[in-house]
Amino acid sequence: MKRRDFIKVAIVAGVTLTFPGNTSMILSSLEAADKVDLAVAHGVLPARITKAAIDALGGIRKFISRGDIVVVKPNIGWDRMPEYAATTNPEVVSTVIRLCYEAGAKQVKVFDRAVVDPRRCYKQSGIVETASAVGGVVSFVDDRKFREVKLPGIALKSWPLYTEAIEADKVINIPIAKTHGLSTLTLGMKNWMGIMGGSRGRIHQKIEGSLVDVAMFMKPSLVILDAVRILTANGPQGGSLSDVKQLNTVIAGTDQVAVDAYGATLFGLKGADIGYVMAGHKAGLGTMDLAKLKIKRINI
Amino acid sequence: MTKKIRIATQGLFLLFFLWLFLQTESKGANDLGYPVKIFLDADPLIFITTMLSSREWYQTFYLAILVIVATVFLGRVFCGWACPLGTLNNVVGSVKKRRLKTSTVNWYRFKYYVLIFLLVSSLFSLQLTGIVDPISLLIRSFSLAVYPLVSYATNATFDAFYNANIPFLVNVSEFIYSILKKIFLPFQQPFYIQSALMGFLFLLILALNLVERRFWCKYLCPLGGLLGILSRYAFLKRSVSEDCNDCGACTQECQGSATPDQKESWKSTECLYCMDCDDLCPRNAVRFGFLKNQPVAGMDLGKRRVIGSILTAIVAVPLMRITPIARAGVSDPRLIRPPGSLEEKEFLRRCVKCGECMKVCITNGLQPTFLEAGLEGIWSPVLVPRIGYCEYRCTLCGQVCPTGAIKRLELPEKNKVKIGLAMINKGRCLPHAHATPCIVCEEVCPTPKKAIWFEQVMVRNREGKERILKLPRVDLELCIGCGLCEAKCPVLGQPAIYVTSVGESRSRDNQLLLP
Repeated sequence: MKRRDFIKVAIVAGVTLTFPGNTSMILSSLEAADKVDLAVAHGVLPARITKAAIDALGGIRKFISRGDIVVVKPNIGWDRMPEYAATTNPEVVSTVIRLCYEAGAKQVKVFDRAVVDPRRCYKQSGIVETASAVGGVVSFVDDRKFREVKLPGIALKSWPLYTEAIEADKVINIPIAKTHGLSTLTLGMKNWMGIMGGSRGRIHQKIEGSLVDVAMFMKPSLVILDAVRILTANGPQGGSLSDVKQLNTVIAGTDQVAVDAYGATLFGLKGADIGYVMAGHKAGLGTMDLAKLKIKRINI
Repeated sequence: MTKKIRIATQGLFLLFFLWLFLQTESKGANDLGYPVKIFLDADPLIFITTMLSSREWYQTFYLAILVIVATVFLGRVFCGWACPLGTLNNVVGSVKKRRLKTSTVNWYRFKYYVLIFLLVSSLFSLQLTGIVDPISLLIRSFSLAVYPLVSYATNATFDAFYNANIPFLVNVSEFIYSILKKIFLPFQQPFYIQSALMGFLFLLILALNLVERRFWCKYLCPLGGLLGILSRYAFLKRSVSEDCNDCGACTQECQGSATPDQKESWKSTECLYCMDCDDLCPRNAVRFGFLKNQPVAGMDLGKRRVIGSILTAIVAVPLMRITPIARAGVSDPRLIRPPGSLEEKEFLRRCVKCGECMKVCITNGLQPTFLEAGLEGIWSPVLVPRIGYCEYRCTLCGQVCPTGAIKRLELPEKNKVKIGLAMINKGRCLPHAHATPCIVCEEVCPTPKKAIWFEQVMVRNREGKERILKLPRVDLELCIGCGLCEAKCPVLGQPAIYVTSVGESRSRDNQLLLP
């Protein structure tokens, strides 16, 4: 042992001995990080708050392993530019893709079954550009790739879902928070409609149970709710900047119901006000009881 | 040598045409980025008849002027060297054995009668040119029949491999498929009403080459007729030297009906300037050059036949228009024109039925009419919302229209244009008639302030239990008639919300609300 090393060891040992609580404090803070149920990051840079929210939950490596094929599912449902808050913020999407690759993901796929013309939606939302730039594999939905799957049966016994989403190792749901005529708000669970095939218009007849069915089947590794801008009226398509509210917020969590319940509060509502959040809570998919959750707030 | 250069030139023009055709498709941006209608712009027949029928000057037709000038100097080089339909006729005709017919010797005149009919009727504001103009006909046939057919056949083949799911083989086929998708397949399979009819008509035109090579170009093509007249006094002329021994080889090869064996009475107006006769003459007696006072045959159309064509046109104009749909309030409610379309009468004076708008429409909603706009308006564009709606922020149809029948709109302007109005059929609507939640129409309505709103009502179900229901209503002031609601309405068969042309901005009479 060289002299310099000896001194180092001595100092470290000395410090540890002087503050006996220190190591346990470090350990307990790590445990606490494990226990964070929801991370709410606030700040002007979408990329930074997205990363901060994921870090608060323990970092991307907790969710993505080396060699994973990951599906990142944003909302690209409408032909609107990002500032209209009808589609997921392109920077939030690209940040998540970048983090996945940093965690060693083999491939990160991005797609959504758009409601209107997909070419325009992909392009105008800005997502095809930002996602491709960081290596995301952006593809249009291929009609041949839907497979009928069995669902829990609260409303739907089975429905065709997109195979690439079913077969991925990990799925990350990245919805945007918006108003919606029938279900009041569209948040995380509603975003699963983008992997549903068939005639989706009929889903609206039993929308709450249907969304819980698909959400229970999908079990995403992570849900990241984009609230950088939210659409407060005339959703889900919007079109007027006066309906857009800049919140500069990203919410991350693993409990689909909890994330959506928190999302409801952004609009001055409670989780219980949203039919599918209530239904998810009742079905045991997660909890909408925010008081019982450990929510970590980060301001950048 | 000349022949090889000509074939190469024809090939290049055809490839250019096909490339522009493939570019007539959205990539998601607001603009197409390519001048896809350039061949229509260069078409002098469309230029002249549209100018006559609309009584307006078009600046974008400078290319047509160029073709006119080229023809006046060089003769029908457009037909022989550039026209994509002519080239296709060449290709198909090449399988036909060369055998000279004498029975068809005077048929060449027929295209002039067609031309006279079109010119005179357009002078009286009836624009029927697009039906038989070769460029318009070719784009329409490709858009509505050939391309959908190729796409369907290719997709079906690769789907078969995909569904058979044989390991390795499916990887190979999917790889090839992905390349084909990038090169020439459409983004989505197009479907058109009457595509089979368009396809058969087009095949018929190609098949006529088996009766005689370039049958269409020699006997039917009105653009060929116009260029023929323009080339009457062309500077580039053909001369035959004394070496000619009347072997007749040139007549066998002639692509037009120019009777090249007859030397002094060579029909310059029928010559396509392919110059094959120069190439193949065994005695090298044929020469093309800028010659003065070279004797050529007259046109010999026949006074009576010309007068007959003029009279037919004059009769056709009122005949086409004595239909009740021309009266206010009687127009076909299904006749939803693309956004930016001129008022119907003005529209029909300009629309040349080329099908560019239908090709470029990103939802496939623009379809060819049959009789909704009268016989005069056959194959003009109509939006059929059940097939495809009008995308709120898309202006492509106006960008590709060659004659301004559909105006090119900027986005803010387009967003205000009403092409019709949506109405709810309460007898079929799920919430209204069946107390079942739905309001897909409200969800998809694209106007910034939604034109479809809902009223919350308390209803009782069969068991007497109360439930809250959202009933959709249409705000007639805000509705633009885009048809997205109709396209997405889950009530199949007759939709519970549907669009008709009433309320369209372009019409003064077809209105429901007080201004």
